[in-house]
Amino acid sequence: MATTVPLARARRRPAARVWRDRLPGIVMGGPAVLVFLAMFIVPMFLAFVLSLTDWNGYSLNFTFIGLENYAEAFRNPRTVDAAVFTAVVAFCGTVLCNAVGLFIAALIAGNSRANTLLRTIFFYPYIISALIIGFLWSAMLSPEGAVNGLLGHLGVGPVPFLTEVAFAKASVILTIVWSHFGFNMILFLAGIKSVPTEYYEAATVDGASKWQQFRNVTLPLIAPVFTVNLVLTLVGLLKVYDIVLALTDGGPAGSTQTIVYQILRDSFANSELGFGAAQSVVLLLVTAVLGLAVTFARRGAEKKVAD
Amino acid sequence: MATTTHPTTPVPPPVASGTPAARPASRARRRPAPGVATILKWVVLGLGALVMLVPLYIMVINAFKPQDAIISSPLAITPDTFSLEYLQAALTSEKFNVVKAYGITLLFVALVNLCGIALAAPVAYVIARGRSRWHLGLLLLFVSGLFIPGQVTLIPVVFVLRVLGLINTIPGFILFETAATLPVTIFLFAAYLKTVPRDIDEAAALDGAGKIRAFWSCVFPIMRPVVATIVVLNSISVWNDFVSPQIILGPSSGIYTVTTGVYAAVGEFSTDYTTVFPTLLLAVSPAILFFVLMQRHIIGGLVAGATKG
Repeated sequence: MATTVPLARARRRPAARVWRDRLPGIVMGGPAVLVFLAMFIVPMFLAFVLSLTDWNGYSLNFTFIGLENYAEAFRNPRTVDAAVFTAVVAFCGTVLCNAVGLFIAALIAGNSRANTLLRTIFFYPYIISALIIGFLWSAMLSPEGAVNGLLGHLGVGPVPFLTEVAFAKASVILTIVWSHFGFNMILFLAGIKSVPTEYYEAATVDGASKWQQFRNVTLPLIAPVFTVNLVLTLVGLLKVYDIVLALTDGGPAGSTQTIVYQILRDSFANSELGFGAAQSVVLLLVTAVLGLAVTFARRGAEKKVAD
Repeated sequence: MATTTHPTTPVPPPVASGTPAARPASRARRRPAPGVATILKWVVLGLGALVMLVPLYIMVINAFKPQDAIISSPLAITPDTFSLEYLQAALTSEKFNVVKAYGITLLFVALVNLCGIALAAPVAYVIARGRSRWHLGLLLLFVSGLFIPGQVTLIPVVFVLRVLGLINTIPGFILFETAATLPVTIFLFAAYLKTVPRDIDEAAALDGAGKIRAFWSCVFPIMRPVVATIVVLNSISVWNDFVSPQIILGPSSGIYTVTTGVYAAVGEFSTDYTTVFPTLLLAVSPAILFFVLMQRHIIGGLVAGATKG
């Protein structure tokens, strides 16, 4: 509908004038479109094309091998293990970050000075690079690190935080939660503070307890913030890499390798670029599907509030 | 250092004690005995704060201690083990020139902000003012970038940059990082520009300014709040980015950002704590300082970016 009007008008005007009218728009939009095409859209299609080949990243000849790389991705035990661990990290991380973030946000939602200070304390790790967070915790959780030093004083023997499979997996997840829940907390705080105070006053008049107010007033009204928090955390954790590289370097025995760790290792160190590309296309699809699925699933919860 | 800040803190309270401090005091008088719930709440918060702060404390104090003291007493610092030599060694390390890395990373942050905003603002304006299907398509094109993880495109981006001759160069890195900022930037800019009345454009047009000039001289200055949000978001993400500089610039270029430099310096020596802690402390300090100074803007920017994006 919108296009018919300009088209009709264009037919009446000489072509030169049409282009002169369009020129500013093209000059203003062109560069961004070009950069975006070159660095996003073209690479995305290239990733798909490369995923169908056995290219090693530098030789001049490669052959198209169809969907063989995709079949390999579902067969290769390293990739399957990495995918499973990534799923566990993404699921546990999303649940824990949001649970802890919401819990703390509910406790410090007031405007007092102590609360502002606490907000800063809980949030600060978020602005530090994940790589540095990983190195810091790696130093503290090592067999002779600070945490084991403290446990030693309490008479508890050294805990193999990073050297035994189950402990290492838990350490990765808890380190992520430590550094990330502050972000979720900040968004929850913004949501809680945007709830009109009249609602709480009305609830108090009706004799609702603090918990009932939180459950029946706050929680439904911050549903949109909840959705944003879930989607951002989930999508972010599906591509977790830096923190794992620094904390465990995928170990022990490759048990904490994530899918992005696997993609980068295969593409560059192992010179299996085609295989790496296939895995990244799968990750892209999974990310998009999960992101949209959570958004749509949450739409129900958000609608209930609007009604 | 802690003692120098104390004498200054008593100064502000007399100014502030008018209303905000008076209210909590009167409330406290009304309820003299805090309930079990309140005590429990503060115990939980106190323990939580401790868990957050102890790692920072460990990093700071252990940057000034020898290896055996770090291992035997990680939480304590005594005058006889205190030494500036490790911090100095990290500052002057040949493996990782921290000062140079600060400079390079800051330069990258500035360039990506500049390029990203210069590219995104005009196209967001075209999208926000356009009424045709093309403009909506353009917005959708850019927004689709929000769902493409950077790591997924990184492999083929290396390929594209190699074709362009920009692999292992600063322009190549800036190009990629700028493109990575475009989806969020354009989305937020376009949303903001839809709230800016068209009268401003029309007034500029009446004064004879062309479309492009009207945008930069009349509309862009109004976008200040949203530009500030974007600068905060971009600065944090570029400063903390590790994968893209590691792969696009690569160790062969000899150009290290703070993160890739830390990886080069700490990666191999992660059991030599006299290297680890001072290096991490140096790498973290500017970010912490920036955060403390700009906290309100950073948190406001993140909230605005996440809830509108």
